[in-house]
Amino acid sequence: MKTTKLAAALLAATVGLGLAACGGAPAQNPGGDTTASGPVSITFQSLSDQPGAIAATKEIVEAWNTANPNIKVETIQAGWDGVYDKLTTQFSGKSAPDVIHYEAASILPFAADGYLRDLSKDISPDAKAEISDGVWDSVTYDGQIIGVPTEMQTYVVFANKKMLTDAGVTIPTGDSMTWEQFTQIAQQATKGDAKGLGWGLKSPTATMMALGPINGATFFSGEGDKVDISVGEPEIALPKAIKGLADAGTLDKTSLTQSGGDVLKGFYAGKYAMTVQGSYQAANIAKDAPDGFEWVELPPLQGTKGTGQAANPQTLSVNIDSKHGAEAAKFVAFFTEPDNMAKLNTADALIPASKTAREKILKDTGGKDGWDMTLKSGESLTSAPYLKANSYAQWKDTVATPSFQKYLTGEIDDAGLKSALESGWKR
Amino acid sequence: MNTHISPLARVGQYALLAVYVVFLAFPLLWLVSASFKSSRELMSLDISLLPKEFHPDNYVIAWNQQGLVGSAWNSLIVAVCSMVLVIALSLPAAYAFARFRGWLRTAGTGWILVSQVFPVILIIIPLFLILRDAGLVNTLPGLILVYTTYTMPFALWMLQGFAAGIPIELEEAAAVDGASRLRTLTKVIFPLLLPGIAATAMFAFVSAWNEFFFALVLMQTPENYTLPIALKMFIGGEGKVALGPLAAGAVLATIPSIVFFSIMQRKLVSGMLAGSVKG
Repeated sequence: MKTTKLAAALLAATVGLGLAACGGAPAQNPGGDTTASGPVSITFQSLSDQPGAIAATKEIVEAWNTANPNIKVETIQAGWDGVYDKLTTQFSGKSAPDVIHYEAASILPFAADGYLRDLSKDISPDAKAEISDGVWDSVTYDGQIIGVPTEMQTYVVFANKKMLTDAGVTIPTGDSMTWEQFTQIAQQATKGDAKGLGWGLKSPTATMMALGPINGATFFSGEGDKVDISVGEPEIALPKAIKGLADAGTLDKTSLTQSGGDVLKGFYAGKYAMTVQGSYQAANIAKDAPDGFEWVELPPLQGTKGTGQAANPQTLSVNIDSKHGAEAAKFVAFFTEPDNMAKLNTADALIPASKTAREKILKDTGGKDGWDMTLKSGESLTSAPYLKANSYAQWKDTVATPSFQKYLTGEIDDAGLKSALESGWKR
Repeated sequence: MNTHISPLARVGQYALLAVYVVFLAFPLLWLVSASFKSSRELMSLDISLLPKEFHPDNYVIAWNQQGLVGSAWNSLIVAVCSMVLVIALSLPAAYAFARFRGWLRTAGTGWILVSQVFPVILIIIPLFLILRDAGLVNTLPGLILVYTTYTMPFALWMLQGFAAGIPIELEEAAAVDGASRLRTLTKVIFPLLLPGIAATAMFAFVSAWNEFFFALVLMQTPENYTLPIALKMFIGGEGKVALGPLAAGAVLATIPSIVFFSIMQRKLVSGMLAGSVKG
């Protein structure tokens, strides 16, 4: 009897909850309001994850909605994790949002499949002039601009000021720091158990691709499915230099197997005098470093070819199937105006693609918390050939990452790395 | 048989059990501890089990920031509904599988095994298109339907094993005593199957409660996100992770599961006892 009652109760609960679910779950209306007379609705899938950035996004969207009552933008808050698969499904099902926030490296395959609107004619000459050619190149596919760059990051060097001063290092302050200077500082600061440098290269490919261009590394040429790889001296230069530091004992070898966040713990504890991290970590260091911990961000690293790192900006794109593509493009133009970009990037601790926005942040922050050097490192960002290669993501995970790891641990030499990277691409 | 255990051996047994329990519970203890630590302490190499400073703000952030309450409610709806539907649909099928032989059973077994080998990434696009045409994308009933369909083959397999373990002689004895087929099923078989039903229900509940990928793709607006999606929102781009709020959110997310398991655990034990008496 008891069991019968239990089963009945559970079935009743199912029906009840199912009804509640039906009531609380509106069906999606991907195209928005399509009536000719009334206002149109645009869906904007945002990936902003910091509370400040979410608030800034909301503020910008509200400002747009107030100024444009006939084009209502509805923000859909999504997370970064799994968003590629989600978008793949949404594009296949023709139900992707009208405006899509993502990053250049991940959005280009969608452009290759013809899912994104060409924004070339929607961007004003003034707005175009705000962003450097190298960054525009990162979001250009087959001659079409398929996303407007919004936020970017670079790899920068953070240093424990006291450790450097105690080691007799004069802290560099110019527009750039040569690799030789960097190596010299790392050697000077290596004392006892403390190493000059900790570098989290658990996933080394992104770093190699982004920082490689300072030595002229390009790795790839071509676009789409017609891409060739070439691994020569410029491509080997950065991994070779990093390995050289590890072999010399100035870079802690254990840090090479850790993530950037793990290395920060050792940085705070005085295990390393310097660490190379994504520029956004400046905000985390300012928040999480122990009381009295004096830190400084050093000038951008300069290789044999300058300071230009490869740009992989976050982007705003417009779905080609959007019923209101022109209106969506107008919203993207508004969202990426310098004042809005400055607001968003300050909250996200990232570098705005727009020059005026960078100037505004520098003025507003006074260069505090490493902003002066972070913004400086964002001025010379260059194009990223790897972004144009359709099979890059697969090569990165299955070939490049294990090959760079083997190289850094001494399992393979220069020739072995070159061979592994090239043959892995052609496979 | 001598079942006497010396007091020393008894103490040893309990000591070993205590060590085992601590070992099993350690990740949960660590999670609870991390949820009360400040981000500064979480980023320190000076590791301690107990937080140096009690930092309840993580719970406030977790509660307010990602709409955990609404997500937990959505998760509860889909988990309970899928569980009940899975049991209701697979119970008669499992009994039939256990008792009847023939080509249909062989084909059914084959279908169950084949259905387990497809990676979800392979079926997500056709599934999305079907649900979209049915108007069920971004709806909880759509998600319930998917979870029920996806969990049922394995649940059926599990239940079939339990049903096959019940001796046929019990049914024959009931028939000899004059019980009808329905009465035999409800009064003899069902109570004996209760532990199996409880175990399968737990499996179905946990599968739906923890599922991430289907929910990620099918739920497109925050008000319909389930708990795993809401928790993943604490992991941002560029490697940014809000560790404290994530830990606090994870602690909150485990509470309904623990409550559900403690209820079902009792049912599991009482079902076993009921079976032993009647058997």
